[in-house]
Amino acid sequence: VTGPEAVLDTPLLTHELGSLDKPGWRVKAYAGARLEEADIEEARAWGKRLDVPDHEALIELLRTAPLDEDGRAEVRRWSSRYGMRLLESAGLDVVYDGEQQRSEMYAWAVANANGFEWRGSVRAFDNKYYSKAAVTGPVSLREPYHNAEFSFLRPIARATLKVPITGAYTIADWSFDERFLTVRDLSRPAAERRGARHQARRAFVLEVARNLIRPNLEALIGLGATWIQIDEPGASTDRQELDLFVESFNIAVDGLDAVFSTHLCFSDYDLFFPAIEAMHGCRQFAVGFANYDGRELGRTAEARPGYAVIERFRDLPSRPVLGLGVLDIHTNFIEPPELVRDRILYAVEVFGDPSRIHVTPDCGLRTRSWAVAYQKLVNMVAGVSLAKREFGLA
Amino acid sequence: VTGPVVAYQHGIFPRSEDVVAATRGLERGRVTQHDVDERYDVDLEIFIRTQQEAGLDYYSDGMLRWDDVFRPLVEACSGLEARALIRWFDNNSFFRAPEVLSALRTDAGMARLVPSPGVPEPRLACLPSPYLFSRAADVRGDRNALMREIASHLLRPAVETLVERGCHLIHLQEPWLAYFGIEPDDWEVFERALGELREAAPAERATLVLHTYFGDVAPFADRLRGLPVDAIGVDAVETDLASLRGPWKTGLLIGCLDGRSSVIEAVDPSVRLMRNVAEALEPSALYLSSNCELEFLPSEVAARKVFRLGEIARAVKEAR
Repeated sequence: VTGPEAVLDTPLLTHELGSLDKPGWRVKAYAGARLEEADIEEARAWGKRLDVPDHEALIELLRTAPLDEDGRAEVRRWSSRYGMRLLESAGLDVVYDGEQQRSEMYAWAVANANGFEWRGSVRAFDNKYYSKAAVTGPVSLREPYHNAEFSFLRPIARATLKVPITGAYTIADWSFDERFLTVRDLSRPAAERRGARHQARRAFVLEVARNLIRPNLEALIGLGATWIQIDEPGASTDRQELDLFVESFNIAVDGLDAVFSTHLCFSDYDLFFPAIEAMHGCRQFAVGFANYDGRELGRTAEARPGYAVIERFRDLPSRPVLGLGVLDIHTNFIEPPELVRDRILYAVEVFGDPSRIHVTPDCGLRTRSWAVAYQKLVNMVAGVSLAKREFGLA
Repeated sequence: VTGPVVAYQHGIFPRSEDVVAATRGLERGRVTQHDVDERYDVDLEIFIRTQQEAGLDYYSDGMLRWDDVFRPLVEACSGLEARALIRWFDNNSFFRAPEVLSALRTDAGMARLVPSPGVPEPRLACLPSPYLFSRAADVRGDRNALMREIASHLLRPAVETLVERGCHLIHLQEPWLAYFGIEPDDWEVFERALGELREAAPAERATLVLHTYFGDVAPFADRLRGLPVDAIGVDAVETDLASLRGPWKTGLLIGCLDGRSSVIEAVDPSVRLMRNVAEALEPSALYLSSNCELEFLPSEVAARKVFRLGEIARAVKEAR
């Protein structure tokens, strides 16, 4: 299996979706702090466990903390190596680096864009927060913000690379608008205010797609990226704006020479239909389902309530692949291989074709420890092996 | 407005950057729970001071420790468990859906819902409305039956406890009705469920407010103002106030500050809006607040909104 098209056609292909937690040694060293022996031992243990080449060089570097700017950048690259090796070691077919070189999926993009100002932290759920910015001026790309990591990873990757990149709709949706919407007087007629709000949203989202995402994609493709996953966890936030999400995706990718997929999560997925039928350039939809599913074994619709919507993805006219989320990333529960197997078998039964099913976690695993994330992924790969046996694919 | 004009801040207030850092540090083993608790205490002090300096009429604890609007109730109830993460309407914010496992029992009591003694009186407390709770829950079966059970066995004891412990205003969050609507057959059950809470918070002891938001409730106005509460809250960002008809027999809460926008509203247009509402609808009492909880904003921006709420309320009161 070589080219991206052939990879896409691989039945039950396994891949991760994005971010991993940042290990303590990476966080502390990058923050310019001194490390404790436990942090260094963690780096050593994982380096050995994951067979990270030359990881003793990292240990020596960490012992010199606090680090200067060059040292901190080197630690970030080591973290990137470790992240990729974790995914490769778990047995995944398609990998990246757990986004170890980025601050966070939204913050990294905004920090490399013009036109935004930071406003502060906002909660996503429980004790999880993200830094939120406001758009205050014209949006443009300050500099391509995934080039350095991709150039670093490409020569050292053992598995196929897929670059995750945050999409236009999500960036706009996760930002405050202090530029585009100008009619804010609530004593104005409601219809006038709604119209102004719709126009402002459209202008904002499409400006991000055109002036930030697309040039960044072009830069990656110029470096040899062949599969780019556009992450859109915010895509279904507003059920009135699904068409806008689709339009922004198409504007970002149309005519570009790469395989594009998208990742959707934690939504009422029914909302996406029929709007996403117009995403002709999207070859794979990677979608989280396990969060909504039961933990009992079983291959029937009754046993798999979290996967009720997958037939709608099956029926999309462009026949895209479904990246089937089988790991709940919000709990430390380690899915047994048999549970993963049953989720896959149910999906294959619905689709009638294993080549249209890929297997993934629900989302990035950054809210889990590496120990939990690793074991979840190992079990996911084991579950795929069990499923393949049933089809004679093993 | 012939009745009172009252301003208060409802819902979960955002945690400060210090609490955010502390909770993150706790997860990474860098700080202790004691450190986190101290940060929470500082946040509470600041939020109380903010409300006082803004000149608000009721004081909240900001629900600073609530992980979502259901969580402490779920944790106090042996028949519920907080599990799947679900998007909180059209926000980049999620709640854990209360999963119904068995009959609801609150043997452990409701003490954790009660605001800290440091919150000055008069106090307000916020709870999810029974309709919202029954629709957001993960349950197989009759959601109206669940609404009745939630009202009787969970929210009623919660309201009784809160009123007993000095909360003189009970604010019920009801975004589901505004965002998704309600079937005609559900109104009667909803009205009875609210009636249970009315009994637990009789008018002479507490004000009961049902606040709708995240949608335009003008189509439901006639049913809403017949519900057994003291005031109905509407989201002025989403609701077409011009289509509401007066006289509005009950009180009316106008959510006039956009809890999802970082832009701070100007005073004059907000006062003009209140004047228009008062003239057109003639509510028995006028309540002012944000359209939704402020937790979608960074804490500093949210605090500025609270100060602005106080300025608007002062101007409205002076204009009476």
